[in-house]
Amino acid sequence: MIGGGRAQTQQHVATLSLTDFRCIHNLDLVLGTGITVVIGNNGQGKTSLLEAIGWPARATSLRSVNDAAVVRAGCDQAVIRSEIVDADRRQSFEAEVRAVGRNRMQVNRQPVQRIRDLHGLLRITVFAPDDLQLIKGSPSGRRVYLDEILGGLAPRYAAALHDYDRILKQRNALLKQISRDRSAASTLPMFDEQLVSAGSEIIRGRLRLLDRLSDPMINFYRAMGEGGEILATYRAEWDDDAMLGSGDAENIEDRLRTAIERRRQHEIDRQVGLVGPHRDDIVLRLNQMDARTQASQGEQRSFALALRLAGHAVMTDILGSAPVLLLDDVFSELDTRRAAALVCQLPVGQTIISTATRLPEDVEVEQLLEMESGAVVVR
Amino acid sequence: MASYEGSVQRLIDEFGRLPGIGPKSAQRIAFHLLKLPKEDAHRLADVIVEVKAKVVWCKRCFNIAESDLCSYCADERREAHLVCVVEEPKDIVAIERTAEYRGKYHVLQGAISPIEGIGPEQLRVRELITRISGEGITEVIIATNPNIEGEATAMYLANLLKPAGLVVSRIASGLPVGGDLEYADEVTLGRAMSGRREL
Ligand SMILES: [Zn+2]
Repeated sequence: MIGGGRAQTQQHVATLSLTDFRCIHNLDLVLGTGITVVIGNNGQGKTSLLEAIGWPARATSLRSVNDAAVVRAGCDQAVIRSEIVDADRRQSFEAEVRAVGRNRMQVNRQPVQRIRDLHGLLRITVFAPDDLQLIKGSPSGRRVYLDEILGGLAPRYAAALHDYDRILKQRNALLKQISRDRSAASTLPMFDEQLVSAGSEIIRGRLRLLDRLSDPMINFYRAMGEGGEILATYRAEWDDDAMLGSGDAENIEDRLRTAIERRRQHEIDRQVGLVGPHRDDIVLRLNQMDARTQASQGEQRSFALALRLAGHAVMTDILGSAPVLLLDDVFSELDTRRAAALVCQLPVGQTIISTATRLPEDVEVEQLLEMESGAVVVR
Repeated sequence: MASYEGSVQRLIDEFGRLPGIGPKSAQRIAFHLLKLPKEDAHRLADVIVEVKAKVVWCKRCFNIAESDLCSYCADERREAHLVCVVEEPKDIVAIERTAEYRGKYHVLQGAISPIEGIGPEQLRVRELITRISGEGITEVIIATNPNIEGEATAMYLANLLKPAGLVVSRIASGLPVGGDLEYADEVTLGRAMSGRREL
């Protein structure tokens, strides 16, 4: 295994109990600390099971925009209960997701008001079938990739990301007003300054994180059996598409302020914020060429896996505790060679793999769950 | 949704207009009221009528009051040179619970929020400026909420007041970021009041 060897402990979801969660009516499970394989045809509840296991990490659906979509048809609410073990700490989690109205969450039987109060309870690394979009898709997917890791690493990044989103919305509303009425500009500096403050926190975090991801990413890519040289670089659109490195992290505030001044009129004309980390990208290269267009589909899959594995390794390394790995139907998309290579690279820790097909032979399965119509079949 | 007979539906509609109450809750509260003994329902109706008849905005600080001035503005033992600026009357209650503050208040009745169309003009900012020159205020503590809108409001006020030679401070951080003063516990908020930083 590459990069993540320093883990002292690992987190694991020890028990899971579901009521009316998607197609699952009632389910009680004890999960192992190693590899659990969930097998079954499509639509039988495999992905739903992974989604429920990961719920405490994001407090929202991994798949739907609308949480209410997880409530079983005709029911008022879905209930997720789990116990999460981290070293010698065992915590209980409970979420009621309502078809109508506010969701309710509890940790150790205490109500949780804000999502950030869940920080650290459970960390996950998710491999999804559409991870290819990390390479081929729009910049937003690559930003989310970095931001999810940052948010898992420290509450202050989660707070900065949350604030930044709100600042952008307020600032965009203000830019619209200014284009109609110049006097509204009197409060623009207050939102500029907050954008600089939260924005630079995010950019600094992303630059330092990308720096740490670089080596494990390259090593994992090689370990997938690929030959070429890969590279990931941060591109700041607001800074004339400058490629930034971790050395630039120091003076981001000043650069953002200058960029805002310079593009002030342009922002007012367009009535939308053009400066800040919300428009940045990670440029991914294979042999110095754009991986989006120049890499083969197989190389792109290996690249995406290398990004996920590197993220997992860095989280494990920084936090000293391995997140739970969720692999949702990933092997069906891989050829035999890459599937076997991924199995070899899987880090130690609780790993839940859903699959509709056979797995590569050398997966050391601790627990096999077969799902049919939202229930675990006992054979 | 099918609707109910006359006044029941009107009651449901009225509850539905209140903040944080959806159609289902509105219906539940309305049917709860229907089941109440007459006296209980009358007591609720009376207090609503009474509150609207008696309670007004304090002419000086825009806190809620039952006469021209609220109890804080009327209290002459409070230090008159010091004013604490808050967003809503409920923030005064939160600060009073800390027992750390003995000055006057000023309620902005909101915070700068372009999304909701609220700028300085929509807040009681002009009234604050008038008070400062008229009442001999020398120090202003800004206790707007520690969220985006509260910070923007605090910065705006600081830019406005600093050039006038006033001592302007912001209650110290340590408050839960993105939160509401209302939800900060007394100890945290008390520390924030005593450890405020000058802007
Ligand atoms: Zn008053």
